[in-house]
Amino acid sequence: MIGFLRSAWLLARKDLRMFFRDRTGMLLGFLLPVALVTVFGFVMKSIMGADGDEAMPRVRLWVADLDGSEESRGLVAALRVASTVSLQPEAEQEGLEPESLEEAQEWVAEGKNNAHHVLVIPQGYGADVAAGSVPRLEIARDPGRPMESRLVSIGVMQAFMQQTEGRLWPALMGRSMEGAGMDPASAQTLVGFMESARQLMAGVFAAADEPAGADAGGSPRAAPDLTDFTAWMSPATFVDVQRGDRPSTLTLQLAQVVAGMTVMMLMFGLMAVASTLIEEREKGTLRRLFLAPLERESILFSKFLLAAVIGAMQLVVLLTYGELVFRVNMFRDPVTLAILMLSTVAAVTSFGMLVASWARTQKQAEGLSTLLILVMSALGGAWFPVQYFEGSLPAVARVAMRCTLTHWSMSGFQGMLWYERPWTDSATLAALGVLWSFALAAGAMSWMLFRRRHLSR
Amino acid sequence: MLALFKAMASVPPNAALLEVSELSYAYDGRPAVCGISFDIRAGEIFGFLGPNGAGKTTTILCIAGLLGAWTGGIRMNGGDFAPFRRAADRARLGVVPQELALYEELTGRENLELFGRLYGLAGTALGAAVTRALALSGLEERAADLVKKYSGGMKRRLNLALGDLHRPGLLLLDEPTVGVDPQSRNHIFEALRGLRAEGRTILYTTHYMEEAQKLCDRVAVIHEGRIIGSGTAAELAQQVESPGATLEDVFLKLTGRKLRDE
Ligand SMILES: Nc1ncnc2c1ncn2[C@@H]1O[C@H](COP(=O)(O)OP(=O)(O)OP(=O)(O)O)[C@@H](O)[C@H]1O
Ligand SMILES: [Mg+2]
Repeated sequence: MIGFLRSAWLLARKDLRMFFRDRTGMLLGFLLPVALVTVFGFVMKSIMGADGDEAMPRVRLWVADLDGSEESRGLVAALRVASTVSLQPEAEQEGLEPESLEEAQEWVAEGKNNAHHVLVIPQGYGADVAAGSVPRLEIARDPGRPMESRLVSIGVMQAFMQQTEGRLWPALMGRSMEGAGMDPASAQTLVGFMESARQLMAGVFAAADEPAGADAGGSPRAAPDLTDFTAWMSPATFVDVQRGDRPSTLTLQLAQVVAGMTVMMLMFGLMAVASTLIEEREKGTLRRLFLAPLERESILFSKFLLAAVIGAMQLVVLLTYGELVFRVNMFRDPVTLAILMLSTVAAVTSFGMLVASWARTQKQAEGLSTLLILVMSALGGAWFPVQYFEGSLPAVARVAMRCTLTHWSMSGFQGMLWYERPWTDSATLAALGVLWSFALAAGAMSWMLFRRRHLSR
Repeated sequence: MLALFKAMASVPPNAALLEVSELSYAYDGRPAVCGISFDIRAGEIFGFLGPNGAGKTTTILCIAGLLGAWTGGIRMNGGDFAPFRRAADRARLGVVPQELALYEELTGRENLELFGRLYGLAGTALGAAVTRALALSGLEERAADLVKKYSGGMKRRLNLALGDLHRPGLLLLDEPTVGVDPQSRNHIFEALRGLRAEGRTILYTTHYMEEAQKLCDRVAVIHEGRIIGSGTAAELAQQVESPGATLEDVFLKLTGRKLRDE
């Protein structure tokens, strides 16, 4: 009869030795998650453009300049620097674009060159602009991509305003008022009225420096940017609230992805650990352990120990890697980090043990756990920050979200990374409380299942 | 050394080391062992014979404490014996399961060391036990190889050595020679005779009558969960009134059936 902890540790050490001997297992345990974090991290980074000061996705916009005038070329040049679109063809590849509206429509219909929005600048654009009348621009688009359409509109508006130096907005306004039902005469009066206003304002801003992008911080002394129509039309101004320690390259999505992929891979890793219990059952070694003079519950406990050791290693490796590659400032608050890691490992381990003690075969365990992990990852926000769309989710989904341990782990990590909350923060404490309740409940249940299956007469 | 072991055995020869009385066990209501009684004397090799499905493994699982819901009585050295509940009672037994149960990703030595430690051995005692077990199984040369690289016969021998690692008073062997070539089989027989010479007690399960005849001091024949005959080979032969009969003949006489439907 030897001590409970001693036999648990002997068994866990045996499993650790086998774990490190099994190359494939190691690969799954460490390299695969590293690869996943890398891929998702860089995808997020490039989509969200986290490199620059403005974290804004850019949408591919093809342009076909059928006019070839100085004005149309000016518009294309302005589009190239517009903040929401990435203009195609590239400057050095001009000539690749479609040659008519019909061809543009064909491109969109067939997805040629990945075109989903094509701006066609018709002949006469230059003449219209020079004459001070509103030109016609047409965009062939795929109506199934409303998000991109919105960004394209903003880009085109930005570029147009910049190229025409805002001279045409009174006319634009008149046209849209007419479109809204105003009679042409009144609309014309309105245009005249606005034009006087514009000239008045233009006089004031004439002395202003280079308008676009010179000062993204938006300090109150900077000249208003007449070309950023959206900002100009809104009564609200942005007041940036940047946490002192948070690197400016860190975006919410990146923090989300690093933490989310880490938690998801942790679940897969620890599930594999838990399934060694089933493996022992199938191979008969569990029976042999039952023959030995040890407290039989120590066998289950050894798997908890093993999972804790491997989970902690996995977390350290993944988070360090995420830190080195993406600079998410992971180790700013090591105590909170350690507490979060421990709590996550505890919850995930108990969950894994529950599945392992419930399942009768390895296949059952794999199937069930893969399903649960994927659902929990998606719902809990490991893939994308569902928490931030919560308002638009149906009530069922909101409840389901809170039933996943991923959600609580993610909100703990996000709180630490994003809001720099210490573990004593009430929101973090709540998340920790849920994680530990989950760990204890699932742990107790797996204990009971194990006893019922193996230790009851 | 030998004398020491004999002196340590507190049980006089011919006294019952293990007494099994009216043992019954059913799997989900389907009886597998039906009220069997036998005893194993200290220092003997007791043969437990029966065809496939007779209930041999079930009996061993009950004695070893892997199955808990049996009825009847099992006593060791005249005292209460409850390995299902008491870890200390498990330490008094060595069990060699019918199915191979080894950690294939560990070496032979690591397997032995792990179980040695689980049986409470440490330090020089552990080292000595491992060395002895490697000698018993003839695996000295391959001790550092992973078990998954062993042949079937080598695994069988390691399986056997693991059961005897802590030198238990009673060794329960569940068909330790399945799938073993004659050479390895002889090696195992020699090892078992060696253990008997040291004064150890062995329950030996098999469905090979020749094996039992060669090796065992006394046998019990089990068929469909009941013991249909027991004693020495000669006594059994007398029982069926054909002196000089082999156990094959005995089985045929007792059950009216051939042992194996080959
Ligand atoms: N886990 C189990 N669940 C249900 N029935 C079982 C189980 N194990 C054995 N049995 C049944 O109990 C009976 C006795 O089986 P047991 O394994 O004890 O026989 P055995 O004498 O060891 O046979 P063998 O020589 O084939 O190993 C058989 O009818 C078998 O089908
Ligand atoms: Mg059997």
